[in-house]
Amino acid sequence: MADLQLDAVTKVFTERDGNQITAVDDVSLTIEDGEFLVLVGPSGCGKSTTLRMVAGLESISAGQVRLGDTVVNDSKPKDRNIAMVFQSYALYPHMTVRENMAFGLQESTTMPDDEIEQTVASAADMLGIDDLLKRKPDDLSGGQQQRVALGRAIVRDPEVFLLDEPLSNLDAKLRAQMRTELKRLQNELDVATIYVTHDQTEAMTMADKIAILNDGELQQVGTPLECYHEPANLFVASFIGEPSMNFFDVTRDDSQLVHDHFRYDLSNETGDALAGAHAELVLGVRPEDIDLQSTANGAHTYATVVDVVEPMGNENNVYLTIGDEQTQTFVATVDGMHHVEAGETVYAHIPESAVHVFDRQSGHALRNRTVESTTIPETKL
Amino acid sequence: MTDDTDAHTDRDRDADADTDTDTDADRDTQTDTETETEPATDDSSRLPRIGPGRLALYGALLALVIGYLSPLYGGLTTAFKTQEAYRETSPLQPPIELLSFPHLDGFTVDPWFTAGGELAMGMINSFALTIPAAVFSALLGSLAAYGLTKVNWRGQAFLLALFLAAVFIPYQAVLVPLRQFWSIVDISGLHERGELVELIITHIAYGTPICTVLFRSYYQTLDDELIEAARLDGASLARIYRKIVLPLSVPMFAVTLIYQFTQIWNDFLFALVLLSDRANYVVTLELNALQGAMATDYGVQMAGAFIAALPTILVYIMFGEQFAKGQTM
Repeated sequence: MADLQLDAVTKVFTERDGNQITAVDDVSLTIEDGEFLVLVGPSGCGKSTTLRMVAGLESISAGQVRLGDTVVNDSKPKDRNIAMVFQSYALYPHMTVRENMAFGLQESTTMPDDEIEQTVASAADMLGIDDLLKRKPDDLSGGQQQRVALGRAIVRDPEVFLLDEPLSNLDAKLRAQMRTELKRLQNELDVATIYVTHDQTEAMTMADKIAILNDGELQQVGTPLECYHEPANLFVASFIGEPSMNFFDVTRDDSQLVHDHFRYDLSNETGDALAGAHAELVLGVRPEDIDLQSTANGAHTYATVVDVVEPMGNENNVYLTIGDEQTQTFVATVDGMHHVEAGETVYAHIPESAVHVFDRQSGHALRNRTVESTTIPETKL
Repeated sequence: MTDDTDAHTDRDRDADADTDTDTDADRDTQTDTETETEPATDDSSRLPRIGPGRLALYGALLALVIGYLSPLYGGLTTAFKTQEAYRETSPLQPPIELLSFPHLDGFTVDPWFTAGGELAMGMINSFALTIPAAVFSALLGSLAAYGLTKVNWRGQAFLLALFLAAVFIPYQAVLVPLRQFWSIVDISGLHERGELVELIITHIAYGTPICTVLFRSYYQTLDDELIEAARLDGASLARIYRKIVLPLSVPMFAVTLIYQFTQIWNDFLFALVLLSDRANYVVTLELNALQGAMATDYGVQMAGAFIAALPTILVYIMFGEQFAKGQTM
């Protein structure tokens, strides 16, 4: 059992016409033993390529992948003691479930047959697929195939587990169920795991640590709540959280942030945090941090018109417009019992403690919301 | 479509047809689509009504079937006729006089025995040639295609271009160089059956490119993640081929084996150029010789043609289902 380390790992693809494309750019990560790391980002951000480099399916252009103290850059996939679950599951269609699970042990170990049989049986038992062992993959449902793919990885007893969008082929209900199950399984196995997904919900719910990738570059590594409450930049702030954080393009004018439709007063404390920065900024606030009030009272409260209300049951997503031309819209999440009608005028309170400020040019976070550990709200998803 | 309509019996429908032509037309189209979509659950007593368009289609198809099969039929009747009957009756007339039964004067099975005796050695030689040549060209094609699709290495594109080009080399163009090549590499000088070995190698070489192209298009549809999963499972390139790719290639092997079997079995040109010893003659050459030896006996020639064609027909029947599967994959 060992830590997995990615040290400035880079992947450059050379196209046929000589163009060089950097798919993964200088990514450094440490996955501790037993840790569940979720690598998340939009499609094409290089997350799968990173995973494939760790697996040994893709060569590493620069940097190092280390497993414990060993550099595995040049070792073959089978020598890395790594197991991977593919998006398509990649079950061997001509083999039974038992043969699928036993194949890796037959090929890579000298384990005697009866021991292989036992290992397969116990893994199947653990996943609840022991009654499927004689079936072929084609006869299984998506969820069952998924389990077999997991089982095939588990029997190898690997040092690192790699999962490439394993839940994307399942329907929503099953996906939520498998999410929990996978998480429990990983806890039980206590193996370092890299899980690749484009779904921020999966990232938030399953990860010990999230690594957010965009355009091949690592944006932030942190616990789900760190990434949620203290995003390193605009990209992370917009990517994590559903509905996304609201952004307002503002210009700083001394102790005020000036938007086309409103002015936001800053406390001295916030003003200090922004000292020396560009004047061109972005104000960000999460939908659930916006309070809707029926009367204008207090600072940081603005008149808005309700555009659309999306009832979710436990809460309502309220789309609001501000200003006469109704060009700026933003969303507030309020309690499901809080009744609002489209067309109604309400007052949105944007508390300063919940406000993020970003540099508009670089995207870096200049000031994140204040978090007091006792008052961290339950993560809303 | 309601259960109600399904429950209608034939008699119901006939009554409807008599009284109400409008609904009948409706039902007509309904039953048509129904039999097409769910033939398994349909009960057999309810046949679709045949309109004039459909009638014309069946008529045309029948005419085509007759057109295509009549030479075959003519050949078959000729093969069962005596020389005399052949001269006196039209080829389409059956060898047995049906009107004045029993009248077997014109009927004989002798041509089959004569032709069978003449072709026996050729048949054996043909099998000895065709089976290894077809198997090896399919196997080599499969291996080459595996290397060209699922393994990455330099110079792949160039090699693929060579394979593709080789598919389009006409037989006639290689006859002279082929003869010269085998004069230099003189396997026939080593053993009396050497000529056959030369022919086998020639057919393997000539058949491998087309097999490679066929296998390649099939392997391109094979999920790459399957191969990668096997690599992670610790299987070597050779093991992946043996344990994963080969078992999944069965339908494609059926396609290439049928194709190659037919091609090689029916080949005349290469055999003509490479075989000189009568003992090594394959069935196509023997069939040709049959014509020379018994210039006038068409019965024997026809019987010989049927005997020579029999193995390819049998191969189609045996692997036909796999063949169709492989083609649609």
